Amino acid sequence: MNEHSPFDSAPDAELGVALREALAMPFGAAFVNRVRARLNQSRRRNWDEELAGWFWQGLVAASLVTVLAGWGLNAISPLADETDATATSIASQLLDGTTPGASVLLASMTSTDAAP
Amino acid sequence: MTGVDEVKLAARAGRGDTEAFGALIELHEAMARRVAYAILEDQEDADDAAQDGFLSAWKAIARYDPSKAFRPWLMQIVVNAARDLRRRRRVRSADPLDSVSPASKDDPARLAGDLDLGERLRTALATLPERQRLAVVMFDAEGYAQAEIAALLGIPEGTVKSDVFHGRRALRRVLGTVKEEYDE
Repeated sequence: MNEHSPFDSAPDAELGVALREALAMPFGAAFVNRVRARLNQSRRRNWDEELAGWFWQGLVAASLVTVLAGWGLNAISPLADETDATATSIASQLLDGTTPGASVLLASMTSTDAAP
Repeated sequence: MTGVDEVKLAARAGRGDTEAFGALIELHEAMARRVAYAILEDQEDADDAAQDGFLSAWKAIARYDPSKAFRPWLMQIVVNAARDLRRRRRVRSADPLDSVSPASKDDPARLAGDLDLGERLRTALATLPERQRLAVVMFDAEGYAQAEIAALLGIPEGTVKSDVFHGRRALRRVLGTVKEEYDE
């Protein structure tokens, strides 16, 4: 053994070798495989977490698209115009004074139901 | 393996290449586990901490600055992981020190009397404060410069010198005892 002083500012090679041997850990290859496996696991989990992180944004976007699509279809559909026109014409016929009113219509229905 | 290769591997790992990061793990597993052991004094805990350190390094690899050395960057993460684990397992890690009697703490060489050199050194290390253990292991066993150790542990370089001096003196006493036994 050499006469290395604790005051030396250079590494103590002899002590270094002894320490590395004393602290050497067994099963290096097994440790590496274990960490690699965890690495791959965490990588897969990261994808899941990434997708989960987009859940609420995705839900809001899907809702918005649905509402916009519904509004758009409603706006361009000819059926919607026809339905609106029919409803307006029936209402105007029932309410203006020239055509039989709602009470006449109801009375006729009642009398039909009451007949044997 | 040169430092340039390490930087290339780290750059590839930063782009998501797990094989490149696996190569870095193989390069540094022994050192990471020894440094973790110097903090935790338990092999299983040291393996857990080294693994946590590698996984943290993988998550942070995209932020690694290739203009700086990779090894101190990685060891900083491993040291932090080991210290985190020690905080979580404080009660367990206090047991070995409690089992050392106050008288024997003053003389690691006498405490380690009947053990082989490796066991004697580990026993002597266990009597040192954590910072001294880390300083002497990183300086003498792992070859880090005192300035690097100071930066890594967040302490002044003069403190590292002092810690290396005190730690080395205690461990040298153990080596001296072994030498005397061989001479007899």
